[in-house]
Amino acid sequence: MQTPSTKLVHVLIGKSILETVLVGALAVFTFITILPPYFHGWGEVTSTGISGWVVNNASPWDRVQVQLFIDGRFQATALASEPRPDVSMAGWAKDQWHGYTFPLGSLTVGYHEARVYALHDSGGGARKSLQLVGDPVPLLVAEDGKLVRPASR
Amino acid sequence: MLSEAENLEAPPNIEQTHRLALWEIVSVVTSCLIAEWVVLSFAGASKLITAVPILLALGLMAFSHRERGETPREIGFRIDNFLASGRLLLLPTAAALFVIVATGWFMSHAIFAGHFPARYISLPLWALFQQYALNGFINRRAQLALGKGPKSIALVAAVFALLHLPNPLLATLTFFGGLIWAAAYQRRPNLFVLALSHTVVSMTLALTISPNLLNNLRVGFKYFG
Repeated sequence: MQTPSTKLVHVLIGKSILETVLVGALAVFTFITILPPYFHGWGEVTSTGISGWVVNNASPWDRVQVQLFIDGRFQATALASEPRPDVSMAGWAKDQWHGYTFPLGSLTVGYHEARVYALHDSGGGARKSLQLVGDPVPLLVAEDGKLVRPASR
Repeated sequence: MLSEAENLEAPPNIEQTHRLALWEIVSVVTSCLIAEWVVLSFAGASKLITAVPILLALGLMAFSHRERGETPREIGFRIDNFLASGRLLLLPTAAALFVIVATGWFMSHAIFAGHFPARYISLPLWALFQQYALNGFINRRAQLALGKGPKSIALVAAVFALLHLPNPLLATLTFFGGLIWAAAYQRRPNLFVLALSHTVVSMTLALTISPNLLNNLRVGFKYFG
């Protein structure tokens, strides 16, 4: 058997680089497909529940499906399609129909944390992913059942 | 002391040869693992992307054969030692078939009762491809690195088993199959006989042992899906 030239070493290095690029590209592509960084929105406590808005910047005319979790537990699903003229006027959305509201009525007295997630389909519906919209929303249920935003915890 | 030019032209030492051969094995195995685990999990629907690591591995193997001056005949694409190699593998293959059929009969009281999918028609070609990569390339490089004998044979078997993870039964069976085929190849290198033995054993396994136990012969990321 002949002794190989240094070309073989170069080929091995080149192959390793190509495979690293392939794996890296696939990882980035998969991340962007499953968890696209295009969702933008906000949520806040109102006297009756949680309300806010969400926009998919990759498809700004679409209405985004959102899910509410309180203290890590699923509560409800809604379509963010309510009018929020302030959002479009501020330039966050192309039109005003991106608002959502989750009425809350059966929470125990005390501190809670609400999180609103945008629901995203990929792989032709084979996969669904949730992405947090805005920040977690701290809320306080008072003795009289009213919801308030706590000053601090 | 050698001048720089003389140093560059000096033949590589044994240790360098061993390292290079091991690097070639690692590179080909990495390509297979990327195809099985990464590409299938990230881009399972795209056959084109799945082909990329396979083509890279095939390119490397072809280039390496050319660089080392290996002919198809040396690699094992030959018929002059077909009978001699066949005689070597006849008994182990027959024993494997007996164990598989007996196990199938013991477990389900049925022999060759499994469904015969159309894709099994291409099994001999697939087996030849696997035997070429495993023995025509990896076994030859393992012999360069570790010498002929138990060490290189064990390495080939371990690589073959690794590529069949996380399917525990298939990984175990391929380890023992890898030992037998690698040992036979080192004595009489004939890839056609190895592919024949591989085809017969695989088909008997698929038609005799419960698909649930073998998870339909799935390996890599597909094992879970």
